[in-house]
Amino acid sequence: MQGLEHWIHMEFFIQQLINGITLGGVYALIALGYTMVYGIIQLINFAHGEFFAAGGYMGVILISWLATQGLHPYACLGLALVLSMGYCALLAMAVERLAYKPLRQASRLAALLSALGVSIFLQNGLMLTQGVYDKPYPTEITSGGFEVGLVSVSYMQIFIVALTAILLVGLNILVFKTRIGKAMRATSQDKIMSALVGINSNRIIATTFAIGAGLAAAAGIMVGLYYGSVNYSMGFVPGIKAFAAAVLGGIGNITGALIGGLIIGMVEIFAAGYISGEYKDVFAFIILIGVLYFRPTGIMGENVDDTRV
Amino acid sequence: MKRLLVLIAALAVMALALTGCGEEKKAENVLKIGTMSPLTGPYAADGNDIRQGAEIAVEVIKEQGGIDGFTDIKIFPQDTACDPKQAVAAANKLINEKATGVVGAYCSSSTIPASETLAEENIIMLTPASTSPKVTERGLTNMFRTCGRDDHQAPAAVKFMKDVEGVKSIFIVDDKTTYSQGLAEGVATAATAAGIEVLEHDHVNQGDKDYSAVLTKVKAANPDLFYISLQNSATGALMVIQAKRMGIDAKLMGQDAVYHPKLIEIAKADSDGMFCTFGAIDKDAPAYKDFVTKYKAKSGNEPGAYSAYSFDSAMAYLKAVKAAGTTDPAKVRAEILKLDFVGASKQVSYNEKGDSGSNYTVYQVKDGKFVPYWNSLSGEKY
Repeated sequence: MQGLEHWIHMEFFIQQLINGITLGGVYALIALGYTMVYGIIQLINFAHGEFFAAGGYMGVILISWLATQGLHPYACLGLALVLSMGYCALLAMAVERLAYKPLRQASRLAALLSALGVSIFLQNGLMLTQGVYDKPYPTEITSGGFEVGLVSVSYMQIFIVALTAILLVGLNILVFKTRIGKAMRATSQDKIMSALVGINSNRIIATTFAIGAGLAAAAGIMVGLYYGSVNYSMGFVPGIKAFAAAVLGGIGNITGALIGGLIIGMVEIFAAGYISGEYKDVFAFIILIGVLYFRPTGIMGENVDDTRV
Repeated sequence: MKRLLVLIAALAVMALALTGCGEEKKAENVLKIGTMSPLTGPYAADGNDIRQGAEIAVEVIKEQGGIDGFTDIKIFPQDTACDPKQAVAAANKLINEKATGVVGAYCSSSTIPASETLAEENIIMLTPASTSPKVTERGLTNMFRTCGRDDHQAPAAVKFMKDVEGVKSIFIVDDKTTYSQGLAEGVATAATAAGIEVLEHDHVNQGDKDYSAVLTKVKAANPDLFYISLQNSATGALMVIQAKRMGIDAKLMGQDAVYHPKLIEIAKADSDGMFCTFGAIDKDAPAYKDFVTKYKAKSGNEPGAYSAYSFDSAMAYLKAVKAAGTTDPAKVRAEILKLDFVGASKQVSYNEKGDSGSNYTVYQVKDGKFVPYWNSLSGEKY
C-alpha cells in the first residue's frame, strides 16, 4: 500500500512536470517577443499579447477556410501556422511604423504609453471584428495522446514543446549566425554607430518586431489548439505572465526568455498542484516582484548601461 | 481644407441641434427600462442573451399596441462586465437616464451592489440569472428574481448524485465568484450531509485557460463525480476538454452558468454525457416555441441559456406597468406580486421576497444537445 502511494506521488509529480513544461513553452514563445523588442529599442511592448491573440484568431479563420478548400488537416495546420505568423509579422511592422517609430526620439515613457494605447486599440478591434464570444478551435486535428501508467501525455503537448524548441533553435541561428542577426545585435548595442557603418537600423528594428510577433502568433495558434478556443481578451493575462518570464530570465536575453518562461510555467503548475489552483497567479507575480527587487537584471541579464544609446 | 472642416463642424452642430429638438418633443411620456449584463468580457455570451431577451419582450409589447399612457418604450442596455464597480456605474447611468425598471444583472456579485444603488431611487430590478440566495435575502422591496436559487440548486444536484447516480465521492472546483463559490460550498455542505465524501474542494482563477494542474489532482483523487462550478460556459468547456484529455473518467457535472449551447460548441464530443443543473424549461410548450420563433426572427440567433428568463423578467415588468398604469414603484411592485402568467421559461409568479421559485432539472449532453434527464421536483427521470 505504501509503495503504491509513493508510486502515485511520483506519477503525480511527473504529470505536473509535463503540464509545467507545456505551459512554460507557451510563455517562453510569447516572452521571446518581449525580450527581443526590449533588447533592441528598450521598449516594453505591451501590445505584444495582442499579437498572440490576433495570431490565434487568424489561425482558426485560416484553418477553417483551408479545410473547406479540401486540404489535408495537417497541411491546413501547417499553412495556417505560416500564414498567421506572416500576418502578425506584418501587423507588428505596421504598428511599429505608426505607433513607435515617430516616438523613437521621444522619452521612453511616451513610447510605453503608445504601446498601451495600441494594446487597447488592437484588443477592441478584435472584439468588434470577431465578436465577444469564444471561438471554438478545430481540436480534432491534434487530439489524442498516450498514457504511461497514470501519466497522460497528449500529442498536442509534444507538439507545443517541439515547436517551441524548433523556433528557438531557428531564432538562435538567426541572431548569432546570420548577417541580419549580426546587424540586430549591433543595432541593440549602439544605434548611431551601427548606422554609421551602414546598417539600416529602422529596417532592423522593424524586422525584430516582425519576428517577435510571428513567434507570438505561433503561440496563439498552439494555445487555441491545446485549450480548444480563442477569445479576444486572451492576450492580456498570458502577456503579463510572459512579461514576468522575460524579466525573470533577464530582459533582452533570448535564452533568458526560455528559462524564464519555463520557470514561470512550472511554478504556476506546482503552486496549483501542491497548494491550490487559486495561488497560481500569486506565485507567478511573487517571482516578478522578487526578481525586480533582488536581481533586476534577471537570471541571464547583464548590467545595462543606460548611456550607451 | 480648413473651409471643409468648418463646414463639417457647422453641419455637425446643426445635426445635434436638430436631434436635440426632436428628442425634447418626444420625451413626453416614454417608458424607459434598462438592462444590465456583461456585454463584453468573458461572460459576454450570457450577457448578450439577456440583453436580447429583454429587447424582444419590448418589441412584443410594442407590437401588441404598447402600454396605455406611454408614447413609447425605450430600452437602455448597459454593460456590467461582471464587475461590481462597473455594475454600480451602470446603475447610476440608468438612474440618470430616468429608467424605472431594470432587467439584470447576470453575475450575483454585480446584481447585489447594483440593486442597492437602484434601491436608493426605488427602481425595480428583476434579475433573470443571479442565483445567489443573498440577492433576495436583503429585504429590498425593489428586487425580484425570475430564475431559481442556489440553496435549491445545490441540494437538487446532490440529490441527483446520490439517488440517481449512486455517487460516493466528489471533487469540486470553483472559480471564486460570489455565485460560483457560494454554490460550490452549498454542494460541498449538502454532499457531506448526504454521506457523499468530498475529496477536495479546489479553486481556480477567473481568466485561467490552463487547468492541467488542478485536473491532475482530480485524476489522482479519482472521484466518482467531478463537480465544475465555473462562472462561464466557455471556461467550463476548456475544463471539460482538458479533463477528457487528462483521461479523467469521473462523471462530469456543471451548474446553470456552465449550461449554455457554447459549452457544447467548444467542447464538442468531450462534453458528451456531462450533466448540468438548470431551471426546467419546457421546450415543447407553445409559449416557449412562440418565443423562440420571435427570438430567431429578431436577433438572428438561437436563444442562449438565460434568454427566456430575461424575456420573462422584462415581460413581468411591462405587464405590471400596464396593469398599474403608472411607473410608481410601490404600485408596480404590488402588480408584480399579483402576476401569474405563462412565460417562455416557466409559470411566472413572485412571492413577497421577490423569488419566483426554483424548478431545477438535470440535463445531460447527448448528441450535441442538452437533453432533460432528471427532474428534481418529481424526483423522476424523463
